[in-house]
Amino acid sequence: MLAIEVDRLTKSFVLPSKRIVEAVRAITLSVEQGERLAYIGPNGAGKSTSIKILTGILHPTTGDAQVLGFVPWRQRKELARNIGVLFGQRSQLWFQLTPMQSYKLLGAIYGLSREELERRIDEYGSLLEAAALFDIPVRNLSLGQRMRCELTASLLHSPRVLFLDEPTIGLDLVAKQRFRELIVRLNEHKGTTVFLTSHDVSDIEQVAKRVIVINHGQIIYDDKVSVMKRSLLRTKLMEVRFDEPPGAIDIDGVQVLKSTDMGFKLSVDTEARSIKHVLDELLDRYSVGDISVLDPPLEEVISKIYETPRR
Amino acid sequence: MNPYLAAFVSGMRRTVAPGELIVRVGFYAVILVVFAAVWNAAMAANGGEVAGYGFAGILWYIAAAEAAQVATNARMIEDIGNDIGNGTVAIELLRPVSVVGLRLASEVGGAVVRLAGTCALAALFVPLAAGPPPSWNGVGLAIPSLVLAVCCNLAAQHAFAGIAFWLEDAKSAWFLYQKLIFLLGGMLLPLELLPDAMSGAARLLPFWAMSYAPGRLMAGYVEPWLLLLQVGWLVAMVGAAVAVFSSGERRLQAVGG
Amino acid sequence: MRALAATWCSAWLDAWANRRSFWTQLVVMTINDSVWVLFWILFFHRIGEVRGWDTEKMLLLFAILTTAAGIALGVFANARKVGQLAGDGELDATLTLPVDPLAHLLARRIDPSLIGDLAFGPILFALAGGPTPERIALFIVGSLCGAIVLTGFLIAAGSLTLFVGGRGEQADLAFQAALILASYPIDFFGGVTKILLFTAVPAAFISSLPAELVDSFTFQTTATLLGSAAFFSLLGIALFRLGMRRYASGAVWTRA
Repeated sequence: MLAIEVDRLTKSFVLPSKRIVEAVRAITLSVEQGERLAYIGPNGAGKSTSIKILTGILHPTTGDAQVLGFVPWRQRKELARNIGVLFGQRSQLWFQLTPMQSYKLLGAIYGLSREELERRIDEYGSLLEAAALFDIPVRNLSLGQRMRCELTASLLHSPRVLFLDEPTIGLDLVAKQRFRELIVRLNEHKGTTVFLTSHDVSDIEQVAKRVIVINHGQIIYDDKVSVMKRSLLRTKLMEVRFDEPPGAIDIDGVQVLKSTDMGFKLSVDTEARSIKHVLDELLDRYSVGDISVLDPPLEEVISKIYETPRR
Repeated sequence: MNPYLAAFVSGMRRTVAPGELIVRVGFYAVILVVFAAVWNAAMAANGGEVAGYGFAGILWYIAAAEAAQVATNARMIEDIGNDIGNGTVAIELLRPVSVVGLRLASEVGGAVVRLAGTCALAALFVPLAAGPPPSWNGVGLAIPSLVLAVCCNLAAQHAFAGIAFWLEDAKSAWFLYQKLIFLLGGMLLPLELLPDAMSGAARLLPFWAMSYAPGRLMAGYVEPWLLLLQVGWLVAMVGAAVAVFSSGERRLQAVGG
Repeated sequence: MRALAATWCSAWLDAWANRRSFWTQLVVMTINDSVWVLFWILFFHRIGEVRGWDTEKMLLLFAILTTAAGIALGVFANARKVGQLAGDGELDATLTLPVDPLAHLLARRIDPSLIGDLAFGPILFALAGGPTPERIALFIVGSLCGAIVLTGFLIAAGSLTLFVGGRGEQADLAFQAALILASYPIDFFGGVTKILLFTAVPAAFISSLPAELVDSFTFQTTATLLGSAAFFSLLGIALFRLGMRRYASGAVWTRA
């Protein structure tokens, strides 16, 4: 069964200068129930606008959409009972209160009985490893801790679809990793459909099974993550600082992008050579001071999409 | 460019942004309309004169006394309180210029723009409602007095911000400060209309220099010594502001930021 | 209703979280109001009765105004923030909840300093308003009507932001104007201004007319007050609903 169905959805904004900007242009897509979808694109590509239309916050200019059979902008309240929404930069929780106090309010808003609410708080508290945080005022939580509490808040009414708008923004690496695992665990345990926007390539690799790329308001790519990995995400970047000038670097599958005396920026073709191999060889053959492995920026992935002929 | 001049200019620029200025001048217009009505009714009930002020005199008084208030940044005590609280001031103290000087220059820059806006409105409205100002010599003295009143007020607010820090609630501190000017500064009623004991006390406090002085001059009383006393209070208030901020600096060094 | 009551409780808990600040704001507001009372005593002491208004009647008006403002700005503290919230895109979180956004917003924030007003008004009425059972009842009805008119007017003014843009500057001005104008007896004004105070800036319905109601009850005044309360609350709700169709979640301004 389809969880989300979108047909030629368009949203334009009128700027104060009277110029019209089309944030979303004739987007068409569908999402099956239980899918984990990453909806990605650079800043200003139209991700947030799409997600806000699908959650009933914005009215579209033209086009149709249904989420769980509801038209979001016409049946916002009914829809809200069935979906969960988490914005990375806006809080559901009351800053001065404890998460538990906010949860009680949400329980009243969603009409949950007290036993039901307590059961769900316990359940998600252990599933998301957050129960210990629930009695600390939100103002005293770290961002990573807060995001786990926010996620609990958006799940209390057991939504069938979970929308996450840039949920990992601002989190440190460990917290990001943990948050991604929790989303996957949630999807696998409860079958919740996950619709995640991000401009972080790792979010796609580690959370999603399917990826849609949006740029300038249009969908430019829609495929399985495994396919995308093989065709587009074949490279990793490596920044290496050597203790003494290494001379020329000659390893199979490695390309030098930029170099100064001691510092090199390398691109690794992970299909040809595994990262482990390259690391071993570097450490063996040269005197390495520092090394870091990075994902290619999303902009690079997108320009590759444009280079690749459409199927 | 001289850093204080640069701060002054940037303060002016910020205020010229249409939204803020329109709201201020609109607010001032409402006040003029209200007081024109109030004093029109009050004068009619008192044979056209109260404590030496006729209708024209009192309306010009109110126009000037209010202009001096409306021209200052209404949230400044709040802003300073926040800046002290969140450490912005601590960072500013590291610069090789006077923090109070820089802040005052920027605020005066903004105030001058708002003052020009309110005065322009008064020059249009008050003659229609009450006729020309009673004395042109008074007007000549009132203009520098308005600028002095604003400077005095801004300096005093910087000094008062220390109390904002102590109250831990800058908005409340602002309310109290504002009420002192309302009554003891002569903003709502000329000091001559207060009971003797109260007006005597008010004349010993600095607040009259921020509202009453330009109002009195504008109402046609050519009393140049008011300007001298304003300058005196300005010096005292700037001194107090510097003292408050340098005590902040000492505190910073004591606790190590 | 359960949702609204729970939201309102959270708003109190939220305001109460910083107890010291709560009490400071409450006390300072009381001092603030006392200064106004002092002003009016001084004014009428010096000027004498003006167009049928003396100290006693003026303090009655002021008691109603502070009570009404305490409700509209203290209990429904977001009423005057509607424009700013809409302009900044702060309604997103509310819109993801299965609630009426306007009701939720109004219940969502308490302003402790205006709660000071809400305490001051009834106390002033008890001390200086000549409370009899009949006058107390009229005082309550009048203050509530005034509060509803002010709330509706603030929501309407704020909702204009959704049509004209900005961050609610015009609502801020409307708020300040309504409050200043409501601080003075309507009989002090004449001509066009007086008409405006019954229409564009409905200050007359917030304080003067309720005071009139308490002092000399007529069915006509009662009907006028109830009618204005109904009109301005409907106006606020209608403009907000219409405006929400154009809600841009802050996107217009962040992209500009």
